Amino acid sequence: MAHAGTLEINNLSKQYQVKGEALPVLENISLSIKPGEFVSIVGSSGCGKSTLLRLVIGLEHDYKGEILLDGKKIVGTSLDRGIVFQEHRLFPWLTVEQNVGIGLLNAGLSTAQKNKSVQEHIELVGLKGFETAYPYQLSGGMSQRVAIARALVNRPEVLLLDEPFGALDALTRTHLQQELQRIWEAEGITAILVTHDVEEAVYLSDRVVVMQPRPGRIKRIVDVPLARPRDRGSFAFSQIKDDVLSEFSDTPRGDIALVQPQETLGANWQFAW
Amino acid sequence: MSAQATVDLPLSARQPASLGLHRVIRLANWWPALRRLLLAWPFPMAIFVLWSLASHYQWVAPQVLPTPETVLTTFGDLLRNGDLRSNGVISFYRVIAGFGIGAGIGLALGVGMGLSPTFKDYVYPLFKAFAQVPSLGWLPLLMMLVGIDEALKIILVAKAALVPVALNTFKGIETVPTRYIDVAKVYGFSKWQLLAKVVFPSAFPMIWNGVRYGLTHSWLALVAVELLASSEGLGFLIVYGRQLYQMDVVMAAVVVVGAVGYVLDKVLALIEARLLRWRREAF
Repeated sequence: MAHAGTLEINNLSKQYQVKGEALPVLENISLSIKPGEFVSIVGSSGCGKSTLLRLVIGLEHDYKGEILLDGKKIVGTSLDRGIVFQEHRLFPWLTVEQNVGIGLLNAGLSTAQKNKSVQEHIELVGLKGFETAYPYQLSGGMSQRVAIARALVNRPEVLLLDEPFGALDALTRTHLQQELQRIWEAEGITAILVTHDVEEAVYLSDRVVVMQPRPGRIKRIVDVPLARPRDRGSFAFSQIKDDVLSEFSDTPRGDIALVQPQETLGANWQFAW
Repeated sequence: MSAQATVDLPLSARQPASLGLHRVIRLANWWPALRRLLLAWPFPMAIFVLWSLASHYQWVAPQVLPTPETVLTTFGDLLRNGDLRSNGVISFYRVIAGFGIGAGIGLALGVGMGLSPTFKDYVYPLFKAFAQVPSLGWLPLLMMLVGIDEALKIILVAKAALVPVALNTFKGIETVPTRYIDVAKVYGFSKWQLLAKVVFPSAFPMIWNGVRYGLTHSWLALVAVELLASSEGLGFLIVYGRQLYQMDVVMAAVVVVGAVGYVLDKVLALIEARLLRWRREAF
C-alpha cells in the first residue's frame, strides 16, 4: 500500500481575472494535514472550497503560496492524488471495470496486476457483479461508488472529494457516508472532503475546516475527537455539529436595514419562482 | 437520522437507488417495437390502394400512371434482362467510391478543425461558404472542368458526403465535455490517450450521425447527377424511361432508388446500434 501523504498548504492565495479586474477567491489559506487524517472543508457556496480542491489536485494553476505533498511542491496532476467529483464523471462508453481501469492507464503495471487491482477496488466499493454494466444502467449512488473505486485504484496518498454525495438522495447519502468511512479506514489514506453538509463533515472527519466567503478564508478549525463509528444521535455529536453550524448562523449585521416590502402598483403580482 | 430510521419507511421509499445493488437490468420489451412496426404500415398501404384505384379506373391516363401490376411486370423484366442489375451496380460503385473519398476528407477536415483552432480559423469560413452551395450548383462548372465522365459523379458525390461528415466531426470534437477532459488530466493521459480514450469516443455518436447524413446525401446527389449527365446508372434509367414515355420503367427505377437508399441507411443504423450500445435507450 502506498503510504498516506502529508499535505501542507502554506499561505495559499488564488485570484481570477474577471473583466480585467482581479477577483480574489482564496486568501492566505494555511492548513497542515497529517498522514491518514480525514479533514472536511465546509462553507457556503462561493467560499472557494472547490477551487481549493482543484488547486490541490492540480487542475488549476497560477496561485501564490505553496502546496506541498510530503514536502515536495505539487506540479500539475499526479497519480499520488485521486479525486471524486460531485458528478460521477464516468465515461458512458466504458463499462464499470473499464472505467475503474482508466485510472491505471499510466500506472505502469502489467495487465494482470491491473486486472487484479481493478477487481479488488470494485469489491472494495461493493459493486462485485456489476463489472460489465454500463453507467446508464447504474443508479446515482452506484455511479459514485465506481467513481470512488476509480479514484482509489492507483492507491494514491491523498483522496480528494468534491461534494461527492451532494447530488444523491438523503438515504443513499447516509449509506455512502458509512461506506466512505469504511473504505477510508481500510485504505489508511489521507482524505480531504469538501461539502456543505455539516453533519456529513462531523460524521466523517477528524477536523472540520470552516471557510468564509469573499474572499475564501479559513474562519475556524473544529476538532472532532469522537470515536468511530460515530452515533449521529449522540449528545457529543450534536454539540460539535451545533458548534460548527453556529459559524454559519450570522447575527444580522447592524449596517443593513431589513428590506421593507414596497407598496407599488405591481406589488400584487406573484411570480411562481 | 441513522440507519434505524429507514425501518419505518414504506417499502417503496426504501427500495429505489438508495441501497441500489439489486436493480434489475431492463429486459428487452418487444411490444413497443412490434407496435412501431405495425404503425408503419397503414400509410403506405393507403397510398398503394389509391394508386391501384386511380390506375384501374383510369382517373389518370394509363400512359402517365401505369397500374401496379404493369410496374411489377416491368420490374421483373428489368431484373431478368439485367438492366436493373447493371445500372444498379454502376450507381452503387459510384456512391461507394464518392462517399469513401468524401467521408475520408470530411473526417480529416473535421478532426483538424476540432483539434486546432488555428486550422479552424483558416478553413472554417471558406468551408461554410462552400457548404452553402448545393452539390448540383457545382455541376455546370465541374462539367467544364472535368467533363461528364466518372470523375464528375465521384466528385459531386464526394462533396455531398464531405460537408455533413466534416461539420459533425468538428462539432462532435468541439463539444467534448470539459468534465471528461478534467478526468483525463487527473489520470495523466498523454495527448494521444486523450484523443483515443476520451475525445474520439465522446465525439463518435455525432461523427456517426454525420456519416449517416453523408451517405444519404451522397446517394441523393448521385441519382440527381445521373438524371442530368449520365448514360448509365439508376438515375439514368429514370430519365431513359421518361424519354421513352415508359412510366412503368420510371416507377420501377424510383422504387429501386428508394429501396437502395433505405438499405444503405439501415446498414449504418445497425452498425450504430452495435457500436453505441452504451447509450441509454429510453429515459
